[in-house]
Amino acid sequence: MLLFVTTYAKSPGSGGQYEQPILITSAGQSADVSLAGTLMKKLNLNFKVVNLAKESDLNGIKTLIIVPGFSSKGLGAAGISREQELERVKLILKAAKDKGIKLVMLHLGGKARRGAQSDDLCQLAANASSMMIVVKQGDEDQFFTKLAGQRKVPIKVIDKMADALTPLKEAF
Amino acid sequence: MKRHVLVAIFLLLSVVTLTGIASADFLRMYTADIVHPSDAATKKSSLSEYCPSLKGTSADTPVYYFDSKRPGATVLVLGGTHPNEAAGFMAALLLTENITVDSGKFIIIPQACGSGFTCTDPLEGLPDFYTIKTTNGTRKFRFGSRVSNPLDQWPDPLVYMHYPSGQSLSGFETRNLNRSYPGRIDGNFSEQAGYAILELIKKEHVDVAFDLHEAAPEIPIINAIITHERCKDIGASAILELELNSLTYALEISPKNFHGLSHREWGDSSSVQPFLMETSNPIQGRLRGKTNAELVTGGVDKFYAQAVKSAKFRITYDSANGYPLKVRVARHIAGIQAILTAYNETFPDKKIYFSNIPSYDDINTKGIGNFLK
Repeated sequence: MLLFVTTYAKSPGSGGQYEQPILITSAGQSADVSLAGTLMKKLNLNFKVVNLAKESDLNGIKTLIIVPGFSSKGLGAAGISREQELERVKLILKAAKDKGIKLVMLHLGGKARRGAQSDDLCQLAANASSMMIVVKQGDEDQFFTKLAGQRKVPIKVIDKMADALTPLKEAF
Repeated sequence: MKRHVLVAIFLLLSVVTLTGIASADFLRMYTADIVHPSDAATKKSSLSEYCPSLKGTSADTPVYYFDSKRPGATVLVLGGTHPNEAAGFMAALLLTENITVDSGKFIIIPQACGSGFTCTDPLEGLPDFYTIKTTNGTRKFRFGSRVSNPLDQWPDPLVYMHYPSGQSLSGFETRNLNRSYPGRIDGNFSEQAGYAILELIKKEHVDVAFDLHEAAPEIPIINAIITHERCKDIGASAILELELNSLTYALEISPKNFHGLSHREWGDSSSVQPFLMETSNPIQGRLRGKTNAELVTGGVDKFYAQAVKSAKFRITYDSANGYPLKVRVARHIAGIQAILTAYNETFPDKKIYFSNIPSYDDINTKGIGNFLK
């Protein structure tokens, strides 16, 4: 069952207002970014996944999807430190804002991608986004729901990762 | 006869008796576990086929082949890389004793670290054996150690320097098969075992390889599928498929700078698609209480239940039911099935088809013993 929680139902950003091409990047280097790519492939959308995206990757991009969640293995695979990743995320979010690129946050990893190592990355991504899609397990403490409420942006809380297909299809 | 001579004889006989009892206890661990391969088995060999210097050693562990003689992918399944992670061995054993291969080929090594099955980790109070009731009676299995027996490889260096990267690890890890890859033919005991497994992957042209593990409930990398960066799309598809069946997994990509592990070195040294899977195993945890064979199979520990309730840190443990072996084995089997489904979708001209393997629900409902001979 798809839980649909809209904190601010009439917000711009809901109802097919996001455009392609889409850039998907990580905030924390978890492999959830690959899961996001698999979902986009199922929807046949025009997208690319760049784990370590930087400002130049935004050229021609209409929507940035950011997938937050810390992974020590992922950072190891990328060969960067947590601090470097935090800095990169801040820069790409600022660059997207400066270029007027719309931003969607997709938190897929549930509890495993929350906690001390993940939460500042999640907060950065959430505070920059105009729509959030969150797997329920990752919002049991209402972390994202509260942030969405404060910023008056829509949040779609879903039961399972695969349920993200519905709000993504609606958004694009 | 003088009194001190009698005392000396008594002490000597006591020492001999106690030594005999202790020796018999140690030697029990050298009796191989019985495996009844399914009727689909086409060959039985051992690791020394790929590294002759292992011949006659405890690392010369059996390898079972199930060749359909029809075109398709070749799949390798390793259980018992860490013998104390019982679900890895048991899932590989369940496959070995049931599988029918309809296209392609399966190669299964139920006890990859043969040496580690001949001892347990010292100072942990671990059981030597655990039992599983089957329809044909009770079967006993060795529990084993995380690493090779020190009688096979000793002493440990202060610092283990991985070959060929030069990465430094704790000296203890020199006996860890999953830090030994790619190994070398003239290396230490564990490096030779690692070399043999990678040689098997190359010579048998293995397309997909699984390394089945477990970890303590408090370890962050749990209920996870870890893979080489080349295979992340197959991993992602499998995780979505598993999620549709209410099985939650995290996808992790192998760090490029952490050497010696199967998901890194197999992928770097060959064209195989490697996948390592982890489940939650209370007997490996630091918070566990009573440590016995029941904890291996039942997976219930009151201290983990208490820790979950405290919510002080993230623990993967089911307070109501624990994490029984049947659930952990069922997760591994479901993971293999989902990954191979995703592989077949990605490589439609080289599909692997196999059958007669129980589903996640079947294993949970009927128990592992129902599927062992």
